[in-house]
Amino acid sequence: MSDIVWLASYPKSGNTWFRLLVANLGRDTPVDINALPETSGIASARGWFDAAMLFPSGLLTHEESDRLRPRVYRALAASARPAEPDEQETRFGGARFIKSHDAYSYTVDGEALLGGAEVAKAAILIVRDPRDIAGSLANHLGRSIDQAIDFMAAPDSSLSGRRDRQQSQLRQQLPTWAGYNRSWLDQGDIPVHHVRYEDLKTDTAGVLRAALDFAGIEVSDAACRQAVRFAAFDALQQQEREHGFREAPRGMTRDGARGGFFRRGVSGGWREELSVGQVARIEADQAVMMARLSYERSEGSERMTG
Amino acid sequence: MYRYVISGLSVLSDLELPGLIALPDPAGTPDVRLHAQAVATDLPEATERGPNWQIAPDRFTIEVPGVVRMAISDGRDIAYELLDGTMPEDAAIFLSGTGFGILLHQRGRIVLHASAVRVNGHAVLFCGQSGAGKSTLAAALVEAGYDLVTDDFCGIALRDDGLPWVEPDGRQLKLWQVSIDRLSLADRTTAPVRTQLEKFYVEPRTVISSALPLAAVYVLREARPPDAPGIERPNIVDGALLIRRNAYRPQMVERMGQEALYFQAAATINQRAGVFTLTRAMDFNQFPEVIGWLESHWRTLGLLEQPG
Repeated sequence: MSDIVWLASYPKSGNTWFRLLVANLGRDTPVDINALPETSGIASARGWFDAAMLFPSGLLTHEESDRLRPRVYRALAASARPAEPDEQETRFGGARFIKSHDAYSYTVDGEALLGGAEVAKAAILIVRDPRDIAGSLANHLGRSIDQAIDFMAAPDSSLSGRRDRQQSQLRQQLPTWAGYNRSWLDQGDIPVHHVRYEDLKTDTAGVLRAALDFAGIEVSDAACRQAVRFAAFDALQQQEREHGFREAPRGMTRDGARGGFFRRGVSGGWREELSVGQVARIEADQAVMMARLSYERSEGSERMTG
Repeated sequence: MYRYVISGLSVLSDLELPGLIALPDPAGTPDVRLHAQAVATDLPEATERGPNWQIAPDRFTIEVPGVVRMAISDGRDIAYELLDGTMPEDAAIFLSGTGFGILLHQRGRIVLHASAVRVNGHAVLFCGQSGAGKSTLAAALVEAGYDLVTDDFCGIALRDDGLPWVEPDGRQLKLWQVSIDRLSLADRTTAPVRTQLEKFYVEPRTVISSALPLAAVYVLREARPPDAPGIERPNIVDGALLIRRNAYRPQMVERMGQEALYFQAAATINQRAGVFTLTRAMDFNQFPEVIGWLESHWRTLGLLEQPG
């Protein structure tokens, strides 16, 4: 059986934090945030495609690449070694944890884009209140909050989806915040365990341990607590302040533009960050999935609908 | 039939290869033949298989699914079969790029994933994986007056004089639309690299046809924390590793047992030329500054004269 566990999430839902928690398990000193594997740490990295297929994905259209991606992940699952010798995935307890922002989808040939059960033994889906994502996503994309809300509601949204240049990653389709989470929760190929960012904030060690347990990895409570200390949000911010974070979008610096990658890391910050109209729009756009994931609607909008 | 010179090898092709410039007709038997032929999906003598490729001692087959299947044999023959009604112009780039790069590996040539320009009679290389900005930097240098030597891959020959030499290609640059716009190259833009791609061939200003001694290899890096911008010389071990990792297809070097060959080439390049890292922001506005760093570095290497 494959040793791959997908860490799936809509962008800005805490995936990097979760990866840092896993990377800090069983360590005596905190992991350097810039030592996390970057190019091979995400399913959509071009490096994996190019190394497996021996021709450049940059010469294919997004549609042609998508059709071949299942083969790349099958090759990845079959190979014990990573494509680049000095870039290890986040490994722990005999599992390879690989981040993915791709919605769970199928190719035109009917294959799972990420290769299905043949490739991964489990998936951990990290979800976050879309009202908190909006501000963080706007910051990440360098757009306004209203544009971020539009992005989260548009069925054709994607990351790295441009056609006039080669972006460092393959296109990742994000067919709305709700659609993204639905695609992972409702697929029947891979056992999926969802983690709410808000619960991870409240009981980090406990939620981490439960997620690892789901992936078949036993870890002690003490090891989880140690990892939580090493990957505490203020410790990550401190590292970013001192050395920067290479996974931050271009042009974002801790002290300068847009306030850094590890921005707030809070739950419920939307109450100060969003206008009443913006909150109402997100709650209308994402209503069904919000209810399913137990994100309560704001009182204002309850009054409006009630 | 079409004739080209690729990395110093004469090529006879039954297919037009856009992006290659036909150089003066080489006399005699061509070094490489490129021709249409049915290519079997299975290579029974294969010693290793990937998702879309198979390798045997003297033969390599690779498929770009839905586009083309190729068999590259003995370092001198590329047979191709177009798949699913693909037009030749949609497959040609895989033959002249991927197919030829594999052929060079098969010949035991040192082939780096690099674009190169001419600086005062020498070749200067810019290495990096797909998307690292090799072609765009080369294009900016061409605009600054340095002629293009090769794009995307670069064959290096270690000659009896102990020097590494670069064989030019007569190859056009391949640039994405955004680069063409930002570098104002629309007037020299020709055909798309593939019909559905917004990536185009751009004619160089001059065609170089003779080999040049290699003066420096720069490995391109994006300036991201904690890596600071600038030019640095890695230690010899790291430099050797960088050369091998920037082979056109590092996996081929490993699978064909050519590690020692690349290690020796890296030692020679390090000793006779130099391996450097060039770390810069991926920003068109920074090109004048980056070219400034390079020119001042070339002065310290003795490639350009000191000012005044």
